Amino acid sequence: MSVESPAEGRPRRLVGGWWTPAVGTSVLGLYGAFQLESSEGLVRHSFFNDVAPPGAVYLLLAALVGLLVYGFMRHASLWMIGQPHHQSMLRDVPQRMRNAMRLGLAQDKVRRDRYAGLMHWCIFSSIIVLTFVTAQVALNDDLQLNFLRGNYLLFFRFYGDLFGLIGLIGVGMALNRRYFQDYHRMRWDERLEDHLIIFGLGLILLTGFFTQTMRILVEWIPAHEDWARYAFVSYGFAKFVELFDFTEGQILSAHRFMWWGHVGLAFSWLGLIVFSRLDHMFFAPINAFFLRTDSPGRLARIENIEEREVFGVGQVQDFTWKQLFELDACVRCGRCTEVCPANIAGQPLSPMHLIMDLKAHLSAVGPSVQHAGHTGGDTRAVSPVAMVGDVIKDETLWACRTCFACVQECPVMIEHVPTIVDMRRFLVMDEARIPATAQQALENLETRGHPWRGTSLERTSWMEGLGEVPIFDGSQEYLYWVGCSGSLVERNLPVTRAVFRLLRESGSTFGVLGQEETCNGDPARRLGNEYLYQILAEQLVQTFKEKNVQRVITNCPHCFNTFKNEYPQFDGNFEVLHHTEFLSGALKDGSLQATHRVDASVTYHDSCYLGRANGVFDAPREILELVPGATLTEMRRSMSKGLCCGAGGGNMWQEEVGERRVNHVRTEEAVGTGAQQVISNCPFCIQMFEDGVPAIQPEEEGRIRPFDIAELLEQSVFGPGGGEAAQPVTSTAGAPD
Amino acid sequence: MHLVVCAKQIPDPETPPSAFKIDPAKNEVIPAPGIALVLSQFDGIAAEAALRIKEAAGDTKITVISMGAESAQQAIKQVLAMGADEGVLLQDPAFDKGDPHTTAKVLTAAIKKLGDVDAVFCGRQAADWDWGVAGILIAEGLGWPVSIIAKGVTLEDGKVRVQRVIEDGYETVDLPLPAVVTVSNEFGEPRYPKLQQIMQAARKTVTTWKAADLGLDPGEVGAAGARLKLERLYVPEKEGKAEIMQGDTPAEQAQQLVAKLQAAKIL
Repeated sequence: MSVESPAEGRPRRLVGGWWTPAVGTSVLGLYGAFQLESSEGLVRHSFFNDVAPPGAVYLLLAALVGLLVYGFMRHASLWMIGQPHHQSMLRDVPQRMRNAMRLGLAQDKVRRDRYAGLMHWCIFSSIIVLTFVTAQVALNDDLQLNFLRGNYLLFFRFYGDLFGLIGLIGVGMALNRRYFQDYHRMRWDERLEDHLIIFGLGLILLTGFFTQTMRILVEWIPAHEDWARYAFVSYGFAKFVELFDFTEGQILSAHRFMWWGHVGLAFSWLGLIVFSRLDHMFFAPINAFFLRTDSPGRLARIENIEEREVFGVGQVQDFTWKQLFELDACVRCGRCTEVCPANIAGQPLSPMHLIMDLKAHLSAVGPSVQHAGHTGGDTRAVSPVAMVGDVIKDETLWACRTCFACVQECPVMIEHVPTIVDMRRFLVMDEARIPATAQQALENLETRGHPWRGTSLERTSWMEGLGEVPIFDGSQEYLYWVGCSGSLVERNLPVTRAVFRLLRESGSTFGVLGQEETCNGDPARRLGNEYLYQILAEQLVQTFKEKNVQRVITNCPHCFNTFKNEYPQFDGNFEVLHHTEFLSGALKDGSLQATHRVDASVTYHDSCYLGRANGVFDAPREILELVPGATLTEMRRSMSKGLCCGAGGGNMWQEEVGERRVNHVRTEEAVGTGAQQVISNCPFCIQMFEDGVPAIQPEEEGRIRPFDIAELLEQSVFGPGGGEAAQPVTSTAGAPD
Repeated sequence: MHLVVCAKQIPDPETPPSAFKIDPAKNEVIPAPGIALVLSQFDGIAAEAALRIKEAAGDTKITVISMGAESAQQAIKQVLAMGADEGVLLQDPAFDKGDPHTTAKVLTAAIKKLGDVDAVFCGRQAADWDWGVAGILIAEGLGWPVSIIAKGVTLEDGKVRVQRVIEDGYETVDLPLPAVVTVSNEFGEPRYPKLQQIMQAARKTVTTWKAADLGLDPGEVGAAGARLKLERLYVPEKEGKAEIMQGDTPAEQAQQLVAKLQAAKIL
């Protein structure tokens, strides 16, 4: 993900990255080699034991390269049935290169699972170094360069063995996780190739060692045993083999057998790249290069929507080529599904299976679509099944919270959320197939400009009793954007009032739009009605421009994300702050003073659209630190690993299908911290907790209480008597005491 | 077949009561920014009923007609987006401030002018004034049979079969064509239009007919023709009073409550 908070961006590399131990041990080995009195006369004898005619390996190599090229072309021709991607890959190349290095080569995401990260590093570094080792042998022997001699040859033996050993450790960790720990994710979509890959790699490494063992036994140990010790693993094996009195002939036969086994296995294994998920060794860094360079919170705009014939993605060729490429990059690791809130709650969505199902569908119908395209046939009549509806079920698409947990975890940088929303767009705009309650929310947006059907509040109801509320007229610095939830949902009125009072207290100039506010379109876009979204967005950008809005403060992370990341698509460029950012700034520069103690143990819930989508993890925690008396206990899933409250992606307006409700799961986690209050920053999260708490804690006594961070700060700034209670309160049922 | 759907645009019935202001002198609702104009919900359901018949029968034209201001074009477009074929707006200052009777007279005239109509679908009532008589009066004007508050409408052997909601269930009646049916919410939700249809609807032109086009005398429609006189329009005052029963034990409180209820002659 391109946006990381400072805390998230801190290097969490295992001992500083894959190259550090490699360089460190190599230097040690080199030092050791030069400590020898003399390695004169030490040369590598080419074609020891006459294992194979010189050209044999190159024939195999040519076959392998041919296979790889063929495999790549076969894949690439399927990607090309896709549409142009929204972002040009030729833009932001430096950033893309950095992503390819950081996320591809340095595998930042792989390490988010520490065990898998270490395992993967072992295997990865071993393959890289041993490929380098093999290449040197080829250069030395076949071009007769003869640089593998003297001390360097000893050093070469040393690191060759070292990385062989590291590779074996990696393989051991992999075998342990797959077969002994019986790790849950390994079983979600296990295939024959998974066993072949890991056993194949183990055998390649072992036969490599054994080949060298036999060679050492015959060539080195009798002549110069001190030299042989540099190949420390093979030397160990050799000493073991010495215990049995094999003849030289037997050892040479074994050498020949091991050599052919090693070469045969290695080329076969590399050939697997074409047929298995091993292709990730190329596709992962490439996909890191392809990764979006803008915020993950931004969905692509459908350009010229009124002239299109298909809206969104209904068939596989409607995806962009990059989305199709991503399907091939998937390694079925299951990290996405493991963190998916819908999946955790037993609802019908597994991002991994969604990607795999789409990949299978692409393989099944892609070639026919391509053929129809070439021969002038109807590409839309090719598929015997409906991709959206049959391959991917409606309820799967609707279960998505667009929370980016999957996107955040994916080690090969697949962006599941835009892919899911693209299919929702097809469902809503092309098929008009949409859950009844979500449809009501959309209809409400169309007719009433807000998604809250049946509200008895007005956009100005929250203002009662607050004295004069300034209307924004262009002269103030900030527009305080209250939002539909902040004004039309009873529970959120105290939050709106708290933000308002804190803004006023900070001395900044600001105004509100009051009755003129309308929905900015976020729910419509997330639910797939891009057309409605564009109408609402264009209107509001116009309104902002007419009123000369420059800086906006929102108390809803969804409004925040929309203004900040998506309105630039409509030429609406404003400086946007979420209230947590403004308030933490005001506390730091002294314009707000959190003086009163609020003795409360709290836990903090990161909303997806403030946190993962926009990287704001620190500002709210800074506020909590500055409130005297408040003590923070983090939940197991927090920061970029935070769990969605369940309302995202338009699920606020849907009936949940599945074993549990996501908000019950999350409330349980909050309750598990033992905190008295769960603090959030989003009107939807607060509502989901308000709904979840009575379900998880049926007894009223000792219940955890959900609050917005502004409500907490309000108590600290104005004191227990100066908060909401001191004001001439009107109808604010659900307000904090 | 040619079906007609009558659609009315009304002030949003879901407007919060606090936003709903009335001019007592003029006996009118004051339009406020917080009040949206929407298609009366029952008329959307009537359109859904007509569309399902069209889907079942094939080769059917649906015309949506609406009497109202220029803004009522929106309501017509909404039904067009759902799948209706043509729209007619009946707009004339002479139609204003009528009663259900004059409204039905205008709609009847329009249906007669359309000519070859086989059935008319109305909502069970307009969700603003809730009279629920326009459909019946149209049937009277046309001299056609009518069945009201339908939860199901199908076409069977050239007849309209209506499942009519009654107090403890429903009864099934067959009407010979042409006929008028008013459709109730029990029928089901109206469909969500596809974007392609919304855009097609936006491009369609809605015909406007005035009193003269319908051959109506301005004296017999609108305020001039209305037989119903609105005496007073007001928002009812809602009053709530809560009294906490005093007493040391629940039993005492209960006794007090019983005494109060008896005094109020509720018990």
